[in-house]
Amino acid sequence: MTLMNFIYGFLAVLGAFVFQTSLTGINRKVTARLQKRRGPKWYQQFIDIFKAFSKSSITHGWVYDFGAIMALGGIAATVIFIPVAGMQAFPGLDNIFVISYVLAVGMLGMAMSAAGSGNPWASIGVSRALTNMLAYDIPFMVVVFTLIYQHNTGSVSELASIQQGVGILGWNFFKLPLGGIVSVIALFGMLGKKPFDSFIAPAEIASGPMVEYGGKQLGMMFTLHELMTFIEVSLILNLFFGGGETLLIYMVKYAILYTFTNIVSGVMPRFKIDQAVTFFYKVPLGLAFIQGLLVIYLGWGY
Amino acid sequence: MHEVQKNDRSLWEVVGDYFRANSIWMKWYCTGCGAIEMPPTMTSRFDMEQLGMGPMATPRQADVLLITGYLSTKTLRRVIYSYEQMQDPKYVVGFGSCTLNGGIYYDSYATINQLDKYLPVDLYIAGCMPRPEAIMNSFGELIEMIKKGEAKGWKHYKENHEWYKANQMDSLGEVIIHDEFHE
Amino acid sequence: MTNSMSNWIETLEKDLGVEVLDSPAKLQYFIDVEHTNVHQTLAYLRHVGFTQMSLLSCIDWIEQGKFQLICILMNWENGVHMLVRTMLDRENPEFTTITDIYPGAVYYEREIHEFFGVHFRGNPTYQKPLFLERWDDMPPLRKDFDPQAYSDSKFPRREHPHVFKTKVVEVTE
Repeated sequence: MTLMNFIYGFLAVLGAFVFQTSLTGINRKVTARLQKRRGPKWYQQFIDIFKAFSKSSITHGWVYDFGAIMALGGIAATVIFIPVAGMQAFPGLDNIFVISYVLAVGMLGMAMSAAGSGNPWASIGVSRALTNMLAYDIPFMVVVFTLIYQHNTGSVSELASIQQGVGILGWNFFKLPLGGIVSVIALFGMLGKKPFDSFIAPAEIASGPMVEYGGKQLGMMFTLHELMTFIEVSLILNLFFGGGETLLIYMVKYAILYTFTNIVSGVMPRFKIDQAVTFFYKVPLGLAFIQGLLVIYLGWGY
Repeated sequence: MHEVQKNDRSLWEVVGDYFRANSIWMKWYCTGCGAIEMPPTMTSRFDMEQLGMGPMATPRQADVLLITGYLSTKTLRRVIYSYEQMQDPKYVVGFGSCTLNGGIYYDSYATINQLDKYLPVDLYIAGCMPRPEAIMNSFGELIEMIKKGEAKGWKHYKENHEWYKANQMDSLGEVIIHDEFHE
Repeated sequence: MTNSMSNWIETLEKDLGVEVLDSPAKLQYFIDVEHTNVHQTLAYLRHVGFTQMSLLSCIDWIEQGKFQLICILMNWENGVHMLVRTMLDRENPEFTTITDIYPGAVYYEREIHEFFGVHFRGNPTYQKPLFLERWDDMPPLRKDFDPQAYSDSKFPRREHPHVFKTKVVEVTE
């Protein structure tokens, strides 16, 4: 590990933030066009985040403050481990389990901070968010285990590079179509896009975990959300859509995948949390198990 | 009452005011009949998001408090609660003649007549009710005011806190909410 | 009015001993009863199918020195609304609660006490405030309450610097 690794890690976090925030801004315009509106400026998301940082803020106790910082730190640390187009800050440390464990630090920090604010809506939001996580994670992990079993590796960059070189049909999305569909559905749950956004529903539970955040903590939450979106979309992109041979291809694929989720969520209603759990345990979990059996006993996807 | 000085912003505040002017999140607290003018302003006909504005769920996240119509004393207590929960550069816009001078409720025993005795109002919109065109126009005005640093109601509220509190006490008796749900 | 409906009305009139008055609205009737007879009338009407109490309200007839209580009932079987009206003394307005017959009336009784000052014997919660917080004057919907004076005493009015005087133009033909 040299200084260059750390500099690259820092640049990765910065680049991920700038790229994803611009993309969010563009997607706000896409959503606006779907609703026949004009939409905000493409850099509106930057203005929103910097404005939130420029406001004053209050504290609800040290758990609240510490949790927010821990969440942002944990998520930013996870971004460093994400391989982007074959590049990574610390080669060899991009195992899927490392990523999910470091991601859990950020998630826990967020839950701790929101619960520490003492607002009942925040508690309801956190409990819904964790329930939602339990719902999408099980089918997704079954599919990931199938991939690991198939390729005998848990490294995200290796799983991505295996799919490259044979064109579009080499992608796991086409080799394991059931698993690919499950993972894209799980992506909607991860990103909190409709129909799985009941934990941040603004009209029902006053935006859930975010209810007590204002000012600088809200800015941190927005930054965190952008970075988390980057992690989740990158994970699906690397595991099922072949990552990217070059940075440009990676970014184009990423933009298409993210815009796709956004467009679909723009025309979706919202599931109640129990409906979301029932759905995930019925359809995607069933598909994931069928995919696993097909891979293990019939040798599909090799 | 002493007035807030103008044009004493530091460079950081000028930059901050640029961001704050282009991203105004509103706490949409529906106090009267004017709330019905907001859906057309938000949706595809007039689309306030092109100005960077959007609705927010809680007072902590919001920048601007819209008083959309008449205020009964009971609502005013909740509005003062909401206003004091908002984070600091915060603005108040009063809609319609009811917030200006009581409007058609000028002799009502339950509604206040003049909002700026109780909260620092940065901008009034005339009308009963103002139509979405007037609302969009006034939001443009508010953006200009914030950019120039003229929307200083929140500083005024801090510096004249006793005056505002005295007015609130005179009209409401007590700002603390006592009802069956807060006991 | 169909024949069966008029028979039904006649049965009601016979059992209650009062005249059922027709109103301009369709399927809507009203009866005036003494305030001592209200409860047995309501109990009977509930028994014959008026299971929903839509509203309990009050009117201040200040010149006659009376309060009028109005109870709107609805029968879901034939869609008939029945207004039961009774007069109370304005000086000492007291009434016995109807929450034993229609439990939903408890909030209406609190409202009427708050806005008109009618006391309801037998309802333990009727004196709790419902809409007005920290009210410090006479009940505001009584006709002798002056809202303008109350508003002037409590809520300051905006001083208008310019007063526009209207010019009276005489029209001569």
